Amino acid sequence: MSGNWQHGMPTPDAYWIDRVLYDVHHQPDDLARYLKSADAYLKDIPLPDTLKAAIRDNEIGDLYLAGANPYLLRAHCLGLRMPEADFLRSLRAVAKEPDHG
Amino acid sequence: MAELVGVFAASHTPVMLNFPDAIPDQERAAVFDAFQSLGAALRGCRPDVVVVISDDHLHNFFLDNFPAFCIGAAPQYATPIEHWLKAPKSVLPGDTALGAYLLQEALAADFDPAFSMDLTLDHGVLTPLELAGITSEVHVVPIMINCVQPPFPSMRRCLQWGRFLGEAIARYPGNARIAVLATGGLSHDIATPRMGLVNEDFDRRFLDLLASGDDDALVRYATDHVHEAGNGAEEIRTWLLAHGAARGAQFATQYYKAVGNWYTGIGIGAWDIGQ
Repeated sequence: MSGNWQHGMPTPDAYWIDRVLYDVHHQPDDLARYLKSADAYLKDIPLPDTLKAAIRDNEIGDLYLAGANPYLLRAHCLGLRMPEADFLRSLRAVAKEPDHG
Repeated sequence: MAELVGVFAASHTPVMLNFPDAIPDQERAAVFDAFQSLGAALRGCRPDVVVVISDDHLHNFFLDNFPAFCIGAAPQYATPIEHWLKAPKSVLPGDTALGAYLLQEALAADFDPAFSMDLTLDHGVLTPLELAGITSEVHVVPIMINCVQPPFPSMRRCLQWGRFLGEAIARYPGNARIAVLATGGLSHDIATPRMGLVNEDFDRRFLDLLASGDDDALVRYATDHVHEAGNGAEEIRTWLLAHGAARGAQFATQYYKAVGNWYTGIGIGAWDIGQ
């Protein structure tokens, strides 16, 4: 899908990426468990290892391309205190259409 | 009968609260002054309740059950839900009677909203109220539109919703004074490679069409061009709903500035409903 969104309907992988991003910032104690060990937190999530690694390593651009919900990505960045410059750099590294339209 | 005493719309972004210093002092002061003027206008309407039309940014709702439209019918709403938002915690009093009335009227009019009696409101509702300085003064009935996760309700449906809302408010028994505040948009991208780009041409064209009285052209433009304005611009649905609620009243832009370092086209507008 061109334009504002990667998918007109989330894929199952996008659902599970979003599930992690949502739970980490909404479920009691999930953020603490995630920060203690992202690998352990992600162990039973039904995602390919590449996408689990993208979450763990804050590869925001790759998660964007995988269809992660942008608001959850943004909240994840803010919630983890990820440097703004790193967030933007990761996104712009995967840019194909830098301009609107 | 109730009285619709004001219809307003304003952009929202958490960046205004979280990173206010990302823009020069003078520019920030102008934006904040514009929101203070919005607050003064709302306060001047002396509303008993403000119907706040916004979107839930995947805090209350998730992909396991995501309503296209949801009416709040709670006695109060805690806010903000984001642990990372730099805003004081507060509780906004609700209006259960008006929320329940709008829900029942919507269903009777063949709309199919969800409802919630337990919403914790996010920056979409709080930020404009906070910057307008009226957070502690208002009762609210939130109407949440899905603007954040495809598939979306159509732009045309949002305008239809707005027309229904305006008519329902006018029929509401009693003598309540009710204002409408839409919050969202204008052009911006969230977590895309375009983040930081603002499409001022889109914003100004959209604002001009709100003022034009040509609703078909307005809906067509919103539908056909929203992808040129970023995923955050999907929130212009809230403006369309306010436009419908104003039922033909003249729209005027009160403030507009493309604020790239806040990632958003900041717009504030009002409909002249003759109050």
